[in-house]
Amino acid sequence: MALPTTTVAWSNPLQPPAYNPVAARTTLARPPPAQPAAVPSEKPKKVEWTPEVRDYVGRAFEPENTIAGISKEDTTNKLRDVLSYFAERSQLEGIDWSTYPLPQELLRDERAAAWAQAQNNSLLSSPHGPANSTFDTPQSKKRKSQDKTDLSESADASVPPWRRTNLESRITYANGHSEKRHKKNALSGDATSKFDQADLEKRKQRFQLSKNGNSSTPPWNSPKPDSDADMDNTPCVGTNMSLEKSYFRLTAPPKPETVRPQHVLEKTLAMLRKKWKADKNYGYMCNQFKSLRQDLTVQHIKNDFTVKVYESHARIALEQGDMGEYNQCQTQLKALYSQNLAGNPDEFTAYRVLYFVYTCNKTDMNDLLAELTPADKIKPEIKHALDVRSSLAVGNYHKFFRLYTIAPRMGSYLMDMFIERERLHALANISRAYMTVGLRFLTDELQFGDDDECREFLESHGASQAIDKKLDEHGKPQFRVKVKEAASVFESLRQAAFALVDIKGQK
Amino acid sequence: MSTEAALAGFQQAYYKHDALELASCLKPTPVDRLYDFWRSTNEARVEHTVKHAITYGLSGIERSEAQGWIDVFVGFWRASDKIIKADQAQNQGRLSERHAVEVYETWKDLVQTFQKYIGNGTLPHWIIFTLYFVANDLRRFAIKADAQLAKAKPVTFSAGLSDDIVATTPKNQKLEEAARVFSRIFALCMSDRNPNLSESRKWAVYCIANLQFKTYFKLKTITLCKNLIKSIEAQADMPPWNLYPKAHRVTYMYYCGVIAFLQEDYNKAETALFNSWAYCYKGSTKNRELILTYLIPCRLITKSEIPSAQILQEFPHLQNLFGDLVSSIKRGDLAGFDKAFAEGEPEFVRRRVFLTLERSRDIALRNLLRKVFLAAGYEDLKEGQTEKDRMRRTRIPLAHFATALRMGSGGGQTVDDEEVECLLANMIYKGLMKGYISREHAMVVLNKKGAFPGTGV
Repeated sequence: MALPTTTVAWSNPLQPPAYNPVAARTTLARPPPAQPAAVPSEKPKKVEWTPEVRDYVGRAFEPENTIAGISKEDTTNKLRDVLSYFAERSQLEGIDWSTYPLPQELLRDERAAAWAQAQNNSLLSSPHGPANSTFDTPQSKKRKSQDKTDLSESADASVPPWRRTNLESRITYANGHSEKRHKKNALSGDATSKFDQADLEKRKQRFQLSKNGNSSTPPWNSPKPDSDADMDNTPCVGTNMSLEKSYFRLTAPPKPETVRPQHVLEKTLAMLRKKWKADKNYGYMCNQFKSLRQDLTVQHIKNDFTVKVYESHARIALEQGDMGEYNQCQTQLKALYSQNLAGNPDEFTAYRVLYFVYTCNKTDMNDLLAELTPADKIKPEIKHALDVRSSLAVGNYHKFFRLYTIAPRMGSYLMDMFIERERLHALANISRAYMTVGLRFLTDELQFGDDDECREFLESHGASQAIDKKLDEHGKPQFRVKVKEAASVFESLRQAAFALVDIKGQK
Repeated sequence: MSTEAALAGFQQAYYKHDALELASCLKPTPVDRLYDFWRSTNEARVEHTVKHAITYGLSGIERSEAQGWIDVFVGFWRASDKIIKADQAQNQGRLSERHAVEVYETWKDLVQTFQKYIGNGTLPHWIIFTLYFVANDLRRFAIKADAQLAKAKPVTFSAGLSDDIVATTPKNQKLEEAARVFSRIFALCMSDRNPNLSESRKWAVYCIANLQFKTYFKLKTITLCKNLIKSIEAQADMPPWNLYPKAHRVTYMYYCGVIAFLQEDYNKAETALFNSWAYCYKGSTKNRELILTYLIPCRLITKSEIPSAQILQEFPHLQNLFGDLVSSIKRGDLAGFDKAFAEGEPEFVRRRVFLTLERSRDIALRNLLRKVFLAAGYEDLKEGQTEKDRMRRTRIPLAHFATALRMGSGGGQTVDDEEVECLLANMIYKGLMKGYISREHAMVVLNKKGAFPGTGV
């Protein structure tokens, strides 16, 4: 897919603009063609205008204050609204006109807010976003603009045509000036961009001032920027069709041609699942899943499919014992489930319980317990995990190892993370309470596969001295373990194991 | 009412050097009390009228200080403006997150104005205590703003460059911001190098720290509290501890105790909580109850000690919370313990004592096993022994303990023989019972002396 280059754009300078109704540009990259400093002819005659108001009106029509996508006509109308609002209330003198946002700025913010709203709403129903399919072809330039005003104002010479047709202008950033600025500089190498930067700064300060110093802004004024608006908040819409993609951390806004839309991602997921079953190559899998997650994120796809992706990655990470990735997925899943999306919240809640058992994080465990409803607690997976928790809390290793054998779903993978630690804990316990025990007793209590496995475990943990071999009447070897002798060994191993709780991946 | 009249209370407080009274002039609640000042001027004229009122009201103060007060009261007027508008919006049922955020932002400006003028020495040192109250209100406004924001946008999209879909933006964004404001105020107090201790801002260290504790607890970032405690402990030139107001000390000790409690440092927690308890004003039932909420579980762990019936009676809420649990422990009634524990769970979890209390089941178990030991009676007297030498039977069949456990668990749960051994092993491991288990003989051999340490047998 070819990105329309500036040359292409130049060749059709007079076509109707194909940009969104949002003002994608906040300032102009170049000083626009000279425009006569318009004298506002529309202002009501009766009122006496102060010099400050006149200056404000003048500035509203100054070319360097023009905003792409906002026509002169719109600006004029807005200006009239603003002035008459204050005139009706006789507050014209109470306003600091030198810091009051210009009408086009007010309009831009209003539209940006409305667009963001519409985006969010449409996202809920259609994850592909409104302009998904028509977007990547050269013909899209002929696509009709959705904004009638902009159409009628297409002669607005202040917007350079390459701006309108550039794909960049479709990716709208509610407030991400800096990134965009960065991008634009890179694209055009525009010498005047420094000037814009300064302009931008000035404008920012004006906003700042009017926010602090002026509380009687009209009701239609843009909502105060909050943290979300500060962020780059508008989704990208992907056009990439390939199933596989390597993960790279984003350092700049993604290009649509590198991002895959959901219907492609769905195929990707199916393919990845098949591949995982076939060759269990975790390095490849993790990389693919991370790029998959990234593509979902940049397109703001947040639906049942998203849950499926995170669940799949979490399970694979779990199978591999990659707690870092698992934990990232778990965090995301928690938030996704809170949106009542389909999925397996019980299963993953149980994993969270087990995970906190593993990390010994009492604070988080307490917070999690506080979240659980009585209904949650009787769900089989969650109940199992809670039983694991309480059995360890009261030192009931017998019960704990029984629960280990009946862990539902992938619970045993998580329990594997701390099974050795708990075996040492139980051994430390047993070695204080018994003199000697049969090897079989330990094998059964600590759920080893067989006696040999148990013996290997003891030997590899420095207790080979304590194992006593005798032959019974049939000449078969019988092993007894003089646990008491190894008590201090087990105790120090236990302490070391609990001191070393690796909580990588946790923020 | 004129602005001058509206600020008369401030003048009085200022001349009396009464930080508390001055703080009450800047109180944002109830909203009604803001109207006089608010109506006395308007946005366009506020700087002018306040300047007039302050410069003529406080005669003879430095120009720079006057400017400080002008900025403070202009800030207060602006905050009042937002508070009144938010209040009106609420009465009309159209309160939005915008109102709550505006209130928070303007109040934050007020706090920062104070901070600025105290920091550069323009406002007198005792104003730091006024600032405490103003900052405390900032905490309230931040919580309200966060609640409104959470209602408006339950989950946020992440920024364009992050890898995952749900933003990690905090739920308590405003309160976190407020916490940063508080830590700057804390630094302002700590860094006061004034050699004249009587004019030092260090006197506000503990009350600001308490404010921070409260905020961090709400934010569930309790680990940050530790840094705070460390930095206070590392400070060499603090004024003597016992000259601080009791209120500051009791609250500070309480938080130190709870923090140690949550870190499972129960000995340290007990000392701090007990200190707090000892100095706590007897009339403040709520605070004493809070202290006991942690002190009781703490003592259960450190000393295996249950609270007296008398103390529970004094606090009906605690009686509800711990009463059944404590009496079950005393009786060695495991079924009763489990029931009481399950019933109290939501409240225990909320108070963060759940995981600690769970461990007190050991004491209930110990008491049950002790009964088995006592029931086994005495060894027969051998020749030449007198009544004085009579020894308790110390070799007790495992089956006896198993029976007791099955009875004690209320028959509902099945306890198999290995589990009985496991529980006994635990008792021995934790030092609640002395002896060893012999599998060959299916016996428990207890120490002849002190089989159950600390219980007289």
